[in-house]
Amino acid sequence: MLLSYLKIAWKVLMRRKFFTFISLFGVSFTLMILLVVMAMYDHAVGPTAPMKRVDRMLFVNTLRHEMADGHGWMSQLTSIHFVDDYVRKLKTPEKVGITTASANATAFTKSKLLPLDMAYTDSNLWQIMDYDFLGGRAFTAAEVAQAQRVCVINEATARAYFGRTDVVGQTIEIDLKRYRVAGVVRNVSAAQVYAYADVWVPYTLSPQYFKDNRLEGEFLVVLLAPSAAAVPAVSAEYQQMMKRIPIPRPKEVKAIYSYADPIVPGVTRGFLGSEPSLRDDHLAKFYTLVGGLALLFMLLPVLNLVNLNVTRILERSGEIGVRKAFGAAGGDLVGQFLVENLVLALVGGLLGLGLAAGALALVNEAHPIAYAHFALSWSVFGWGMALTLLFGLMSGVYPAWKMSRLNPVAALRGGGEQK
Amino acid sequence: MLRHLFTLIWNRKRANLLLISEIFFSFVVLFGVGTVLITAGRNYMAPRGFEPTQVWRLLVRAGQGQKMPRAELDDVLRQVKALPGVQTVALTSNNLPFTFNTNNSDFVYKGRKTPFANTYDADDHYAEALRLRLREGRWFAPGDDGTHHRPVVISENMRQYLFGDEPALGKIFTYNIPGKATKPEDEFQVVGVVDNVRMTTDFDEAIPSVWKRLIPYDTTHWETAAVLVRVAPGQGGMLQEKIARTVAGVTRQWSTEVRVMEDDRLHRRLYTLVPVVGLCLMGLFLIINVALGLFGVLWYNISQRRAEIGLRRAMGATGAGIGWQFLGEMMVVTTFGVLLGTLLAAQFPLLHAFDLATQPYVLAIAAAAGAVYLITALCAWQPSRLAAAIQPALALREE
Repeated sequence: MLLSYLKIAWKVLMRRKFFTFISLFGVSFTLMILLVVMAMYDHAVGPTAPMKRVDRMLFVNTLRHEMADGHGWMSQLTSIHFVDDYVRKLKTPEKVGITTASANATAFTKSKLLPLDMAYTDSNLWQIMDYDFLGGRAFTAAEVAQAQRVCVINEATARAYFGRTDVVGQTIEIDLKRYRVAGVVRNVSAAQVYAYADVWVPYTLSPQYFKDNRLEGEFLVVLLAPSAAAVPAVSAEYQQMMKRIPIPRPKEVKAIYSYADPIVPGVTRGFLGSEPSLRDDHLAKFYTLVGGLALLFMLLPVLNLVNLNVTRILERSGEIGVRKAFGAAGGDLVGQFLVENLVLALVGGLLGLGLAAGALALVNEAHPIAYAHFALSWSVFGWGMALTLLFGLMSGVYPAWKMSRLNPVAALRGGGEQK
Repeated sequence: MLRHLFTLIWNRKRANLLLISEIFFSFVVLFGVGTVLITAGRNYMAPRGFEPTQVWRLLVRAGQGQKMPRAELDDVLRQVKALPGVQTVALTSNNLPFTFNTNNSDFVYKGRKTPFANTYDADDHYAEALRLRLREGRWFAPGDDGTHHRPVVISENMRQYLFGDEPALGKIFTYNIPGKATKPEDEFQVVGVVDNVRMTTDFDEAIPSVWKRLIPYDTTHWETAAVLVRVAPGQGGMLQEKIARTVAGVTRQWSTEVRVMEDDRLHRRLYTLVPVVGLCLMGLFLIINVALGLFGVLWYNISQRRAEIGLRRAMGATGAGIGWQFLGEMMVVTTFGVLLGTLLAAQFPLLHAFDLATQPYVLAIAAAAGAVYLITALCAWQPSRLAAAIQPALALREE
């Protein structure tokens, strides 16, 4: 039965090439755009090197002081005091690493200015993230503790400064200070904000490396849970820890808030949260918003396809009349038409995947974000197929229902009279 | 004739409803893209109000939680200014043009409140470094040292908000939220008015701006000093390194960063260009999609209505008349979609959504309506010609 439906579907596709072209154009381009957007999203938050274990990572993006008497709030990152005396004492995380948002730095090469993004990290971060070393190694805990002037640079910096990549042990001058190159890593995309930099140096060299009783500072905390299933436990223990911290300057500060989140809730909490405590991570709101936008975007091509399909039913009124006259129920016809439409959507979906690969190649060529290389992954492919099915169903249901209600007598006569 | 068209459309109301909804959504998409494009385009054409070419920004940071005394900082700036190739050096706050830093405040003058305005600290050479265009009054001068209130220069749009068409020079205004005790330096006396400036991106509108005079020899200690450096044309990396080494020569504790403002501008521009270009591509794709679909549907409809056409031709209608009938039907359907769309779009200027002026919205509605009519007319043209070419004898025999 299904086989004959598929055969009919193929014949129908081939009969009117122009209509098939219009339908395929709509389906494939819609899916291409959605797939490109998804590939970019996947690139920023998915498990790509060096954040291969992103499903086990938690991030502390903000430490918020809510001021007393309605004086608003201050959101900052955390201080060394906060990290050392509280976060590092947590029991559930396997590792606690710190880094800074990359800051501008400058190196000069043969009287050319080389702008660099520099991050200050500890040695744990190199074990949490899986950087791809071309040569050398990360700096060690001992080197960090002694505040030695060592650094890890990326491939692009090595090429721009030295002209080659086998530069382990050489000296690089950044902001007029000299560092010994301990290792060279493959370029990290600037879209992976937690992992990206051109140059990494020990955090003990940072101007922010000092200890007083301040909780706020400039360090981003990355926690590694022992397994993906243990992530909620780490997050919960972090909340327990926040409750124990005494509020600094209780006259001015009413409360302090901070959260250890997986990568997506960490971002949505900051962007969509408007309450001072940022209690809600707004993940459901984010997915509803994104899903709604995607549906809205698909609406126009779907309407277009519905229009075409409804029109084309008339073309097949003879066939429908015969089937109805021989006892086919409305449901059979709906099934047949849905199969036909799904075949069309599937062909369009595969074309869309090909187009998306091409579009991503073009985008990669243009380098909109430093070192970013977008690619289609299996998860994106799976989502693409799911969207294709959704698209096929959305654009098939109404015409199929209409088709099943054709009056057999009128249909046989060829008039296409509709009830 | 028009009545007849309406009857024809009403007879096929279900099929036409789908067409109308499709046209409605196309109109909404075109309106959205049009509004973004028109707003960005109008802003891009407006004068910038200053000249960012050959200006560099120099950031000097004190190390390890320290601050730098003003006297030492002035010494550094004097040495930088003395370098060959450097024309002007101006000390300012760190909300430099085309960076992501902003300092906002709202102000009040005799009950007239302003929206949030960009506030900058500026020394006596700032206007010369950025080449601001003075409309009234003068820029800060050493003679301001003795004044009781803080001298400020405001932009033209800020003047409109504060003083309307009244003269501005010499007037004194304050912050909107007054402190516990208003200090004399929190009362701002206008000494000059400059042209509107667009310092955020190439595509943003001019934001009201206030420049407050940095008092020389003040006792403030700076953590980060932002400096504008205007250089002679043709200067490059050599001078950048020389500036960095000059600062390092005074003290090794401070770190420096020298950047070309033109690079900042191009970088900042991407944050608007990339989404806008993406939006346009999506809009273009949707419209092509709709156009192809419309073309297919109309073409098919006409082949379905051959009998009707044949009958009309047999009764004496001309080919051109038939063609016009189909084109007219499509135009009426389009009008329904456009009217619905306009009803929705009109809410934006009426509700002052996104704080935009009314004019871009009206222009966008007009542009979207024009585009939708053009697209449907183009899609209907070829099928209408086909309809006109139908031979009555052939069409009627088929029946």
